Amino acid sequence: MKTIRTPLAVGATVAAAVLLAGCSSGSGEPGSDADASGAIDGSITFQTWSLTPTYQQYFDDAIAAFEKEHPGAKVTLVDQPGDGYSDKILSQASTDSLPDVVNLPPDFALPLAAQDFLYDASTTTDMEATYVKGAVDAFRFAGLDGVYGYPWYLGTDVNYWNAEQFEKCGLDPEKYPTTTDELFDQAAVMASNCDDTYLISRMPGIGDFTLEGIDVLNEDGTEFVFNTPEAAAIIDRYAEAYANKEMPPSVLNADYLGNAQLFTEGKVAWTTGGASSINDFEKNNPSLKGNVKIGPALNISPLYVQGVSVAAHSKELSTAVAFAEFITNADNQNEFGHIANVFPSSLGSADDPYFSEPDGTPSGDARTTAFGSLQTAEVLQPYVVNDAMSTYLNQQIALAVRGDITGQEALDKAASKMNDLLARQ
Amino acid sequence: MSVTGFPAAGQKPAAGRRDPHPETVAVVAPHLARRPRTGGVSTTRWFTPWLLLAPALIWLLVFSIWPSLNTIRMSFTNAKPLGGAERFVGLRNFIDILGDDQVVGALLNSVVFMVVCLPLLTILPLFIALLVEKKLPGIAFFRTAFYTPVIASAVVVALIWTFMLDDRGLVNGLAEALGILKEPLPFLTDRWLIIISAVSLVVWKGLGYYMIIYLAALGNVGRDLHEAAAMDGAGAFRRFLVVTLPAVRGAMLLIAILVCIAALRVFSEVYVMTGGTGGAGGEAMTMVMLIQQYSRGFTGDLGYASALSILMFFVTLVPMLILARINSRSDA
Repeated sequence: MKTIRTPLAVGATVAAAVLLAGCSSGSGEPGSDADASGAIDGSITFQTWSLTPTYQQYFDDAIAAFEKEHPGAKVTLVDQPGDGYSDKILSQASTDSLPDVVNLPPDFALPLAAQDFLYDASTTTDMEATYVKGAVDAFRFAGLDGVYGYPWYLGTDVNYWNAEQFEKCGLDPEKYPTTTDELFDQAAVMASNCDDTYLISRMPGIGDFTLEGIDVLNEDGTEFVFNTPEAAAIIDRYAEAYANKEMPPSVLNADYLGNAQLFTEGKVAWTTGGASSINDFEKNNPSLKGNVKIGPALNISPLYVQGVSVAAHSKELSTAVAFAEFITNADNQNEFGHIANVFPSSLGSADDPYFSEPDGTPSGDARTTAFGSLQTAEVLQPYVVNDAMSTYLNQQIALAVRGDITGQEALDKAASKMNDLLARQ
Repeated sequence: MSVTGFPAAGQKPAAGRRDPHPETVAVVAPHLARRPRTGGVSTTRWFTPWLLLAPALIWLLVFSIWPSLNTIRMSFTNAKPLGGAERFVGLRNFIDILGDDQVVGALLNSVVFMVVCLPLLTILPLFIALLVEKKLPGIAFFRTAFYTPVIASAVVVALIWTFMLDDRGLVNGLAEALGILKEPLPFLTDRWLIIISAVSLVVWKGLGYYMIIYLAALGNVGRDLHEAAAMDGAGAFRRFLVVTLPAVRGAMLLIAILVCIAALRVFSEVYVMTGGTGGAGGEAMTMVMLIQQYSRGFTGDLGYASALSILMFFVTLVPMLILARINSRSDA
């Protein structure tokens, strides 16, 4: 037995050592010295985020046009489902298998760029001459040189008001709130007149601080500084509304989509949503047809940016860069904006009357309202705020809204924890 | 020669007799064939058993031992999902755990969850098994009815319960309509009501599974034991104590261990019922939810999440050891 045990023990030790060594971080060198000025040919993969089958035809046509322009190139479209996209990207990056061209919002692109997984688009493309400045800036990250994504389509939120519920609960649907003060005043009127209908069904978040001009991070981006009396006052105001039963109890567990869901179900009279949300509301609850008033977001509108990034280690870097530039050029962005009710980030697209002139439909109203808001829209949440940070902040805010702690206590605790988490990154 | 026809230990096959395992001999290497035999059955190459064990060993190594070792290793590092400059941080993650109020809250929730679930899921299924083991017309319907929740998806069931327990859901609506409640109970936003709601769901869903284990154990209890006890004057309750309980003690211990492990690892039920938030302030968050919160995303803190997993391992070990101790005392 001894003769068997010895090689077995040695084998097990070696295997364990190999496995432990193998589980060390990274999978080789993610960066690449590949040249982006080579021939545009070879096969690349383009990954989108929950855009097919709705826009399959658009992408098929665009890819066919690119392949016609570059006969040696072949583009394979892969679409990933909406849920779990960050996990998919994470697994692709950690196994060094990111698609050559990949649809990424800036908050996904930041950690990938920090680990050299993404190609610096500014090395081959004059970004400022091609895309609107705000969208380009969204892909510039503190501490990193370069631009790590080609801005693609933009979005913002508009307000949707249920006119029928306004009338039923003693409010004038033509005079929907345009400021935060009016929002809380009208929420109080609605709550006093209707037991089972609410106006507000959202929790305040980090974006609300930006809206009120409160700095979330210090100038260096190294410390959260939002725990000011002004920010605490925002939380306390929501807490007062909750205590006065002007918000549904379920709001304490609500996520970002919670108020849109309640609006669709006809349980609340206000929600925010993108320009295309009106179609979903009317499709999922036909009784809302003709009963929805559309207005710009209160205060500053949020700016949502989608982009495409090129994997730094792409074997066909020049083809990937060419395709990223192609799919985000003005013509393609305008065409996609028309069919998807989103807004192009390419310079010159703003002149397209489709985005600025209403066509008499609710969808058209939402589009032109959103387009108008987009001119002053801002990114409300810094991209360094990760899941653990936002979850902890939201949990503390929920405690304050329920009245267990004050707004200041909630923010102090959240800022302290988030600074710990930031330091650990 | 043994009565089976095989050579007895140390006995050579009789000359001229056919070996009963010619195919075995054929594959034995010459140098092994020359070894003196110690058993009656011809030997095989030394690695044959290892080859047979290899699939299971590889599976164990890849999916159990390696992840466990890797978790221990990562708990001493600042590992991130995307790699980067991973470095050894010593006991920092464990020291941070000691000062983390989220861990204290989540640990308390998980332990309370286990403490409440343990008696309910250890005792209730036994009573149900005693009821449905009787051979009565239509009893199969009740057995099926009790088992049905087991096959339902935890997430789907949790969603249905969420609709029922919502402030405007079936339970609150009914209670208010009957005048039992004036205000809806915050089943999904109050810390302990969330825990109680999730315990109710887990108990309802788990009853059938543990009932089946008890039914199997009860099937091994001889009727003669009950008859003997009855002849000695034991009533139904006395027979339950002196005949049934000792007979199912092994099953009960197994169930208690399974319930402890499952309850400490509870995730889906609380996650779905609180929309992933763990309730207001994350007060109802369980340890597994906390581990998930720290490990997910591009900038997840895998080192800290691994340290939490190690803590969770030892927390799970405690009730196991207590139950094993109780069992050994009972045996003594």
